[in-house]
Amino acid sequence: MKKPISGRSSRWILATGLCSLFWCSAVLILTPAITWSQHTHGTQSSAPGVGAPAIAFDLKSVDGNSVGLASFRGKPLMMNFFASWCDPCRDEMPLINELAGKAGKGGYAVLGVAVEDTRAAIMQYAQEAKLVFPIALDLNSTVKRAYRIFGPPATFFIDGQGTIRDVVIGPITPERAREGLKKAGASL
Amino acid sequence: MNTPFARTFAAIAVYLSLCLALAACSADLRSPDSNRGSGPLSFGPEQRLGANEKNPATPFLRYSPDGRLFAVWTEDHDTPWPQGSQPAMHQHGSGDRAPSPMRNALLAWSADGGKTWSSPWRVNSVVEAVQGEENGPKVAFADNKAYVVWSIPGEKGDKTRANIRFAMGDEKGHFIPARTLNEVKDAARFPIIETTPDGNLLVAWIDRRIDGPKPRQLYLMRLKNDGQALTKNYQVGEGLCECCKLGISFADSGKTVYMVDREVDGNKIRNHVLRKSTDSATSFGAPVEISDDGWQVPSCPHSGPSIGRDSRGQLHVSWFTLGRSEQEAGIYYSVSKDDGKSFAPRQLVQANTAPETLYATLAVGNDDRVYLAWSNLDSDNKAQIFMRTLAADGRTWSPLQQISRAKGNAGRPVLALMKNQLQVAWTETIGEDSRVVLRSATVDK
Repeated sequence: MKKPISGRSSRWILATGLCSLFWCSAVLILTPAITWSQHTHGTQSSAPGVGAPAIAFDLKSVDGNSVGLASFRGKPLMMNFFASWCDPCRDEMPLINELAGKAGKGGYAVLGVAVEDTRAAIMQYAQEAKLVFPIALDLNSTVKRAYRIFGPPATFFIDGQGTIRDVVIGPITPERAREGLKKAGASL
Repeated sequence: MNTPFARTFAAIAVYLSLCLALAACSADLRSPDSNRGSGPLSFGPEQRLGANEKNPATPFLRYSPDGRLFAVWTEDHDTPWPQGSQPAMHQHGSGDRAPSPMRNALLAWSADGGKTWSSPWRVNSVVEAVQGEENGPKVAFADNKAYVVWSIPGEKGDKTRANIRFAMGDEKGHFIPARTLNEVKDAARFPIIETTPDGNLLVAWIDRRIDGPKPRQLYLMRLKNDGQALTKNYQVGEGLCECCKLGISFADSGKTVYMVDREVDGNKIRNHVLRKSTDSATSFGAPVEISDDGWQVPSCPHSGPSIGRDSRGQLHVSWFTLGRSEQEAGIYYSVSKDDGKSFAPRQLVQANTAPETLYATLAVGNDDRVYLAWSNLDSDNKAQIFMRTLAADGRTWSPLQQISRAKGNAGRPVLALMKNQLQVAWTETIGEDSRVVLRSATVDK
């Protein structure tokens, strides 16, 4: 004859059952969540887009001077991410350089941010392409990552108050460059 | 509390728990991202290659037929700039002279699996701006000789309109003066070199001599093992992405040649393709798309695919893509079990942890295991090198393993495999400094 289960035993069985159900459910629910978070860490936040404040930075120029975004405050800025090894960057560089040459007259500024490159290579390229605008060296990719750029070229148009007014990911056309500058407040 | 109810409830709860636990385990096993399967690799300590003060970078590894491990990489040349071309430095500059764009290609070997290394030999007899990054030097071996290819900027200094250089060295490290292989100047880069099973050499590169609607072409050239040309330059493909490394593998004693590259179509979608030759790389069939990733990007990924063939004839490919959205971005893998006619649906090896172009490579072991290495960002937003192994069953992945601890960024890993010795090397950069790091692991038989 089976021994009757006491009230205390039944409570113990119930507690055990509920506990194992809870933990297994938790494992099942959380496992995919943990896996997903490992795979998507950081990818959910969006790039600094139009209307967002430009992310401040302070880098060195090719000649070792400090170049910070703050120093361009007060006038529209065209900020171009590029690399000396990048075909489309080279293709668009005459346009960027031409606009840089007209920057004083247009009341705006142009800044190059060299990414995934070396100072030697950038100096050589700047000499070869006769670049007339300041170049900041993003040697550790911190600015590129802050602006969430997969690769160069990319151009940000920032107004005098430090707000991003236009973004062009990839090569830029003369029309888009002028449009971006106008949105940033340049008088063209 | 009702005792029969409690017993029944407890039994149901335990049963459900077991079912849920089983479901969780089986779901995990089915996942391509499963951490189950073969265990992590056990790596030895980090070794450095090259002279630290000369910023070594962009290594390439290969075992020679006699079992020595060779590495080729680039380093700064002592002389800063060609005479008269040095740009002016401002007084507040970080140094009193501009850093040199001149880089040498260095070659060294290790007879003890990477623990100790010979003194490096300079491969380029003339001082040149040997290119690196995605476009670094490569080495192959035949007939007790080393053959090295690299690229240098074109006549006007343009890195993207470059030239392919070739040099041959003997066992004592004496290299003949390099010569240019591309017959149309200032139009070639991303060279690779392979010893074909017949003992000759095959050099391939991305060429832009025809700036047409499909602006890049795949060019080949065959050389004898004495370095003399067996063929002229010849085109075997077009529509290549302008800046992503090529991958190559052989079968049937060199009669069958497989090449992988990143294509670019008129809409700037950059999927990868396999090109197969059955006549010893004389001609190639129509490209076979490996995966319709749909990455539409007008700029330079600078991240090409990698291919390896196992003893069963299966072709393994890895690559980086952003796909159709940032959420798809990551390192992917696929296999062809029908000799390149088709590829299985891609498997995600690791997703991007942040917007960043990643660099992947793979090697296939004699036991048909596939070793993948790539770069990705760690929790501190620094690029590191990661690895996973795919077992011969094609389903069981090893856990994700981070093998670099770079203070700055680590990138562009390369692999070499000989018997049970796996070698991984990569470049680490911090600020203006770079170094080449190598780690070795013994692979279980």
